[in-house]
Amino acid sequence: MDLELRRIGKRFGHRTILSDISFSVGASDLVSIVGPSGVGKTTLLKIIAGLETPDTGEIEFSAPLTRENPVIIVFQDYVLFPSMTVRANIGFGLSTRKMDKEMIRKKVDRMLEYFRLDAQADHYPEQLSAGQKQRTAIARAMVVNPAVLLLDEPFANLDRNLKMETARFIRKTQKEFGIPTVSVTHDLEEAFAMSDQIGILLDKRLEQFDTPENVYFSPASADAATFLGPVNRIPVELIHHFLPASAAGGKKSLTVRPENLEIAPGKGPGRITEKTFAGHYFAYTVDIEKASFTVYCQDGGFEAGQTVTLKLKNKNKETP
Amino acid sequence: MSWISKPNKTTRPIRLMLGLSPLLLPYLVLFCGGAVLTACQSFGVLTPLPHAGGVLDAYTTLLRDASFFASFGFSLWVATASAFLAVAAGAFLAYRVWRLPGRLAPLSLVYKIPLILPHIAVAFLVLIFWSRSGVIASVAHSLGLIREMHEFPNILYSGWGLGMILAYTLKGAPFAMLLALALLARFDIRQIQTAAMLGASGIRIFFTIVLPRLAPALHTGFIILFLYSFGAFDIPYILSESRPGMLSIHVYNIYFKHDLARRPEAMAILTLMFAFAVVFIIAYSRAVSRLENGVRKL
Repeated sequence: MDLELRRIGKRFGHRTILSDISFSVGASDLVSIVGPSGVGKTTLLKIIAGLETPDTGEIEFSAPLTRENPVIIVFQDYVLFPSMTVRANIGFGLSTRKMDKEMIRKKVDRMLEYFRLDAQADHYPEQLSAGQKQRTAIARAMVVNPAVLLLDEPFANLDRNLKMETARFIRKTQKEFGIPTVSVTHDLEEAFAMSDQIGILLDKRLEQFDTPENVYFSPASADAATFLGPVNRIPVELIHHFLPASAAGGKKSLTVRPENLEIAPGKGPGRITEKTFAGHYFAYTVDIEKASFTVYCQDGGFEAGQTVTLKLKNKNKETP
Repeated sequence: MSWISKPNKTTRPIRLMLGLSPLLLPYLVLFCGGAVLTACQSFGVLTPLPHAGGVLDAYTTLLRDASFFASFGFSLWVATASAFLAVAAGAFLAYRVWRLPGRLAPLSLVYKIPLILPHIAVAFLVLIFWSRSGVIASVAHSLGLIREMHEFPNILYSGWGLGMILAYTLKGAPFAMLLALALLARFDIRQIQTAAMLGASGIRIFFTIVLPRLAPALHTGFIILFLYSFGAFDIPYILSESRPGMLSIHVYNIYFKHDLARRPEAMAILTLMFAFAVVFIIAYSRAVSRLENGVRKL
């Protein structure tokens, strides 16, 4: 099953929430839609799930949705059924299909094992940690083999150190079950780690939809670039400081991520004005002529006041 | 210099009792005093006439009287049926009202009308509508569904207490709705959306998702409605049948329509009804608590 959204638009009263949203999700793709809070990500998910009706546009599924293969949304706070155990929650969708009890038990047991919930099978939701609740909610959705799985802010209620682990687990699970998945989140690192495609939703519109690498290193606009993290804008008159003359010719201004710049020791046009320890990297501020550039690197051997040269590590997109 | 403030352990309970006195005094004088006097009179103590028999005479007389057991059984049936129907109707209607579109919500206030009607008024409404000479019988006759008015089924006096059950249900359902709607106001609609996405039908969603959420309010409502129907006098006075009669009518007859020598008997029935109510609350709450995995606390 794959799906395609065409020119989706949604208004609440006089307020436009979404405008002209188009993208497609392949049969085994994991797509993340990222954007700031309140930009309409959850509304978009509800439209795909059929819980909201778009004012314009349409969604086309490659096969008709059925009761047996529905679109299922896993909400941000999981919405487990509080009066049911983990086992009953996971088996709920199967029991609505009037499946044989023994078959349900076997399928649920497999899910409990895969999602590492065996020990919590008879626990009630209020007895679970956030991670266990999330795994229960995803297992409950996966067990009915949905046509499309939708994840609403899957990392919002997790501890910092659990987020990346969960992102990897979601990707592994999605690939193993082969269910097309759309996730909306504002946790960028996790979205990059688990997604095949990423869409950036800014100011009601889908600013860019591409692979994580292209989205990060070749942002479609200055707004998209800024949303994904700090960027340096290298004006055209300073490009020759970063590239060899042969490569610099004819270039427009460049947008470069701090980690994509490299500090080379020795006399150069740059002067380090600030050095900050940021955990797993050092952040340097380097002035060249009247412009300031931020550089992230793991080498802590440079000091403020030192003159240096800055180089580009990777190819960067020219600013539109 | 330093001062250490020590609570005065002897005055604290007295202050507490004084603070609670507006609540405690009426409770002690009216409720506990009344209960003790009733129990005393049931044993032949403090009766208007000197009691010549034994302490347990009234109870012995009652336990040998088949009509007492018939009345007890009939009261139990009417109370159980009416409380169950009121709670079931209240839960279902509350759910339907809760699901109404926002613009229709104000209209749903109509359900509160029976709440403000006195029980006696509801009893008369049932009488006016459902008796053999009532509105529904007249309409049926006008429509040609029955040839004579007396062909209309004798619903009110069929021997099953249907008139009283109907009246108590009409009066109790809005009360159960009120309790259920208070819980539904905090109910997460996404529970229903999730269940529907997982393939559950509307009926399954109501019974497996919504009803467990409403259960605490419905159990409380059932206890209150059951005990009220079990012991109330006003509706049975209008709609009750003679044999067997409701216990409250039985007490009334002994108390007012017989000589003072039978006063202990009337008081013994009241004492047994009170004891039954206490046992019922404890047993019901324990049973529910066991069913709900210990979640419910009395």
